[in-house]
Amino acid sequence: MKLNLYVLTPKRIIWDCEVKEIILSTNSGQIGVLPNHAPINTAVDMGPLRIRLLNDQWLTAVLWSGFARIVNNEIIILGNDAELGSDIDPEEAQQALEIAEANLSKAEGTKELVEAKLALRRARIRVEAVNWIPPSN
Amino acid sequence: MSCSHLSTAWSSSALASSASTTRRRSPPRSGLLVRCSLRELRTRIDSVRNTQKITEAMKLVAAAKVRRAQEAVVSSRPFSEALVEVLYNMNQEIQTEDIDLPLTRTRPVKKVALVVLTGERGLCGSFNNNVLKKAETRIDELKQLGLQYTVVSVGKKGNAYFQRRPYIPLERDLEVSSVPTVKDSQAICDLVYSLFVSEEVDKVELLYSKFVSLVRSDPIIQTLLPMSPKGEICDVNGVCVDATEDELFRLTTKEGKLTVEREKVKIETQPFSPVVQFEQDPVQILDALLPLYLNSQILRALQESLASELAARMSAMSSATDNAIELRKNLSIAYNRQRQAKITGEILEIVAGADALAG
Repeated sequence: MKLNLYVLTPKRIIWDCEVKEIILSTNSGQIGVLPNHAPINTAVDMGPLRIRLLNDQWLTAVLWSGFARIVNNEIIILGNDAELGSDIDPEEAQQALEIAEANLSKAEGTKELVEAKLALRRARIRVEAVNWIPPSN
Repeated sequence: MSCSHLSTAWSSSALASSASTTRRRSPPRSGLLVRCSLRELRTRIDSVRNTQKITEAMKLVAAAKVRRAQEAVVSSRPFSEALVEVLYNMNQEIQTEDIDLPLTRTRPVKKVALVVLTGERGLCGSFNNNVLKKAETRIDELKQLGLQYTVVSVGKKGNAYFQRRPYIPLERDLEVSSVPTVKDSQAICDLVYSLFVSEEVDKVELLYSKFVSLVRSDPIIQTLLPMSPKGEICDVNGVCVDATEDELFRLTTKEGKLTVEREKVKIETQPFSPVVQFEQDPVQILDALLPLYLNSQILRALQESLASELAARMSAMSSATDNAIELRKNLSIAYNRQRQAKITGEILEIVAGADALAG
């Protein structure tokens, strides 16, 4: 059995292939989706999307909040933006993380603090997506 | 004796010719009557030719960019289609429930935010002026209705315009990149979202140029917030268009000419869907979904506005090129006429000299 996975953003289609399994971050925690999953609607939180390909390889993508719908072995994920792990430059992501940490320590005021925390979280997720090691099985 | 006379005649002719060449005359005073030296005419013709090359190049660049803008709209269609379908299904499933969402909450309107999309550069005919005139008209209407208003300006031309008019309250002026991105639309989306949810304004309207054809684009006003839970798109008069109808413009070549076909695509919504669980509260899910829809609407408006601007620039540069060609032709005629007159004059002088010598 397979799952049809679509990851759509206003800019382009990020993913449009059959997969074996995905692990998705939702607003109420991470969920794993295998074939014949119950129909479900969920809001997607900022976080990684793990994709297990048909050849048992794992890929990582990064989602920035959105919506996911799982019906009849078809997964539609809508988000404002998304990135495949392979498209992220590790050095650039690491630098962005360090810059975000520096900005957080320098932030003054509530608004700046909230923005700095969000930027830091975003940078951290991107770094994790690049450095993630898939489970061996 | 004879040889000496001949030498004198040639010298006299040369002097006259030199005087004629260096004499300066007044600039042209009537339409086609050109009076200036041949050198000045030559310089002017070269200058017009350079201008023509520039305007022609700009026209071709604008045409290429229109095509690219079209591709951007096409590539964002899958997202819009999926979003509308999901929104439709969601509403079917939770129809019986009484949902209170911040983005769909309707209040008595006391203050309106007007988001105005203009271009980043000029040289595109009356594109920017049309949008700004429409904005002024809308502002006057709001004044007559006794409503407060504030303006969110997007694009350099609009920013410059509103900054020169302190009497118009400007909430924010934003600049976008030359090609609309999700980041740009998200910035606008975040701003109008916070304005509306914090109840600073009760209604948000979006003013932009809708791309109709290569020679026409209409500034239209669309209500962004409050939005219908079903995702309908409403104009200021309350006329709603079903969101399942998605208009798409396409740049084609029909009989060797560039034309634009605008077709309506009916997005199919599945008639039956299984009972779907909600991982979170439906309100929370719609809270996540509607901002996506708002963002895609703004992005679409940015893309249409850019396409309109590029089409207007294409037309403007095409007209400028035609004008340059015509002007160059007229100047060439005047140049040749003057050159011919000069040569004729010189010949007459030579003949007169010869006659005098013979006499």
